[in-house]
Amino acid sequence: MSVRGLLPCALALTLAVAAGCGGGSQREGGATRDTLIFAAPADATTLDPHNTTDTESDQVIGMVFEGLLGFDDQMKIVGRLAETWSVAPDGVTWTFNLRKGVAFHDGTPFTAEAVRATFARVLDPAQKHKRLPLFVMLDRVEVVDDYTVRFVTKYQFGAFEPTIAHISSAILNPAVANRFGLGFGRSAEATSGTGPYRVVSWKKDQEIVLERVEGHWRGTPPTRRLIYRPIPEGASRVLALEAGDVDVISRVPPPELKRLEAAEGIQLLKTVSIGAQQFRFNVTKKPLNDARVRQAISHAIDRRAIVDQLVTGFATPSTGALTPIMRGYANLGEIPRDLDKARALLREAGYPNGFPLKIATTPRYPMGVELAEAVASQLKPIGITASIQVFDWATMVQFWAGLPPEKNPQEMFIMGAGASTADADWGLRPIFRTAPTNENNYGYYSNAEFDRVIEAAMRETDEARRLALYKRAQEIVYLEDPGAVWLFDNFYIVAARAGVEGVSPSPLGVVTFERAVVH
Amino acid sequence: MALARVVPSLVGVSVLVFLIVHAIPGDPAVIAAGLEATPDTVEQIRRNLGLDRPLPEQFVTFVSRALQGELGTSIRTGSPVMEEIISKFPFTAILALCSVLVAALVGVVAGVVAAVRHNGWVDHLVMSTTLLAVSTPGYWLGLMLMLTFSVWLGLLPAIGASTPLHFVLPVLTLGLQSAGEVARMTRATLLDVLGEEYLRAARARGVSWRRVLWRHALANTLVPITTILGLRFGGLLAGTVLVESVFAIPGMGRMMVEAVVARDFPMIQGGVLVVATLYVVVNAATDALAMVVNPRLRT
Repeated sequence: MSVRGLLPCALALTLAVAAGCGGGSQREGGATRDTLIFAAPADATTLDPHNTTDTESDQVIGMVFEGLLGFDDQMKIVGRLAETWSVAPDGVTWTFNLRKGVAFHDGTPFTAEAVRATFARVLDPAQKHKRLPLFVMLDRVEVVDDYTVRFVTKYQFGAFEPTIAHISSAILNPAVANRFGLGFGRSAEATSGTGPYRVVSWKKDQEIVLERVEGHWRGTPPTRRLIYRPIPEGASRVLALEAGDVDVISRVPPPELKRLEAAEGIQLLKTVSIGAQQFRFNVTKKPLNDARVRQAISHAIDRRAIVDQLVTGFATPSTGALTPIMRGYANLGEIPRDLDKARALLREAGYPNGFPLKIATTPRYPMGVELAEAVASQLKPIGITASIQVFDWATMVQFWAGLPPEKNPQEMFIMGAGASTADADWGLRPIFRTAPTNENNYGYYSNAEFDRVIEAAMRETDEARRLALYKRAQEIVYLEDPGAVWLFDNFYIVAARAGVEGVSPSPLGVVTFERAVVH
Repeated sequence: MALARVVPSLVGVSVLVFLIVHAIPGDPAVIAAGLEATPDTVEQIRRNLGLDRPLPEQFVTFVSRALQGELGTSIRTGSPVMEEIISKFPFTAILALCSVLVAALVGVVAGVVAAVRHNGWVDHLVMSTTLLAVSTPGYWLGLMLMLTFSVWLGLLPAIGASTPLHFVLPVLTLGLQSAGEVARMTRATLLDVLGEEYLRAARARGVSWRRVLWRHALANTLVPITTILGLRFGGLLAGTVLVESVFAIPGMGRMMVEAVVARDFPMIQGGVLVVATLYVVVNAATDALAMVVNPRLRT
């Protein structure tokens, strides 16, 4: 008995039920469409730029808000609400000349006061905004006149421009922000920016409806309405796209990529990204405290095989501690599999027969469990017997951020890295610098030289010297005293119906829709 | 009498949920704060949520508030739990009710047909189809229905919940599985009954076969069928978790999954309490219904 037997019954039933339920709406049709529907795995949690750390929220925020600076799709920094900007010889005073004639969605004119109020809000320690750590280098923001604003940093800060281009530096409508306080960005009425789209309605877990701003200073977007629709299941997202229910989907499940690439009427849009997949070491655990052991593990891994077999077309093997699109990336080369070298390193470290190792992973990352299995099997030839522990996301986060280091049982753990400023500072400093609060340093990595170099790089505003320092930092953490096994750099891939044009995925893992046309 | 059983069940459920939620690893404050937050922020959130209080105190607060219909505020979304439940519940209720109807209708008809044509090819067809339906994972069935009716035939929308048409595939997914169970139960009971002396006696008295079947025999299958439908309703509430995810319906099931993922304590506790209440009430109602259809159960 096959499915075929079931289908006629199901068909008859469907028709019966459909007839019984009575006139539903007809499916949309026609040649031109003024609406684009975008499906992502989850709803936005908030549209408050100061309180988001998830890509889904960033996606919508990026359409509704703008910062003084922004990234184009090649990650170049461009002026948005600022027309020109410059830094004084002291290296800490930045002056921005603002664009005139820009208004928030409720018609309030955009002026320097909005910039001051926005940064005063995120810097207010009492409000505990999630994004406060990004701005700790800021001393103050002052209004010079209506269209000039001055930022003063506490020290020379090399990543100042990427930080101001970051989505969390978006400028809020101060009137709306004051009215809603911490409720800002929690509903359509409580959201107001200067972006090319404004929020019309938000039905939680169903849809966010955005409408274009006519006469926006960057040009009126060609598509009038944009609907953001959360569809949690990857397989359902793909089917919804194939059925024509939605026009663009993100987070295509890796096993579906090959089929979709060949599918008629579907296009895959692909870009390099800031995202990399790694397995990080907890360097406080024996024998991982020995750099030679970590080097041995790194040399035992066959990155090519993993990329070819598990994430075909989805990634390229890592060539450094950052991905090539990021500012400060240094190409240190792929680490090839070299079992002799790995065994020699283990012998030198005093583990000629290997040792047992725990690898923690979570299915939250695409292929998270399969990757751990691949790593475990590749470690076998050098005598390391790895056991895999699969946790849900909340438990992983608890291990990393909710427990003191001595209580964290993890030894080697999966981690997706992707610094949302696309800059080496945010990509390395919080993750590997020795820090009392361990920021995001969940492997408790500590290397005195790395700390020195990374601090110096952070305060360096000369581009050439800055790059040299970051190169040194990456040599340490990627090769000499590895903080992780870097497996591969992810592509960011979205799938769209063939009739969709002008949609471009950004390396940050969000999609730009303001030039989208739907045929 | 029913109330005497309902109250202890609910007390038990609330204690259990509270304990389970606090026993599983994962700290809602840490998750709410996000990976890039400072320990300071986490502490502040923990205080705001009252999670720094001793467990017994938290439990007393939870129960005394719940008794006043106040379930707290969701950590994940920041809205009152009651409000969230009220906005999500209709979707799940429609799904579960329509599925029970489909299950009853399809199941009883298929079961009767199979029993009447006992050992004929219709019987074999019904039996193998129902076996398939019962053992097919709902997740897979949902995707297959979507593939067939939305992608290939283009008859129905694949995902969402904005029109009645959107509910056809999810209801079929849930309903067909239960229909299989109902059909098998109907057939088995009916075959038992059809062999009984009193039916042969009725036939001998000249009562028409049709009347014997629909009036005498089927009446005796009503009790097991109502019982199984009542039990299935609980199962359906659970089954909606998968179906709501597959079809992107913003119902209770999906809400609960997301609450668990975020360790959203108030939401998990509130959601389970509401579903448990419903389950207990439906079971009590099923018992009452069984007494209506079968006078022998009345005491």
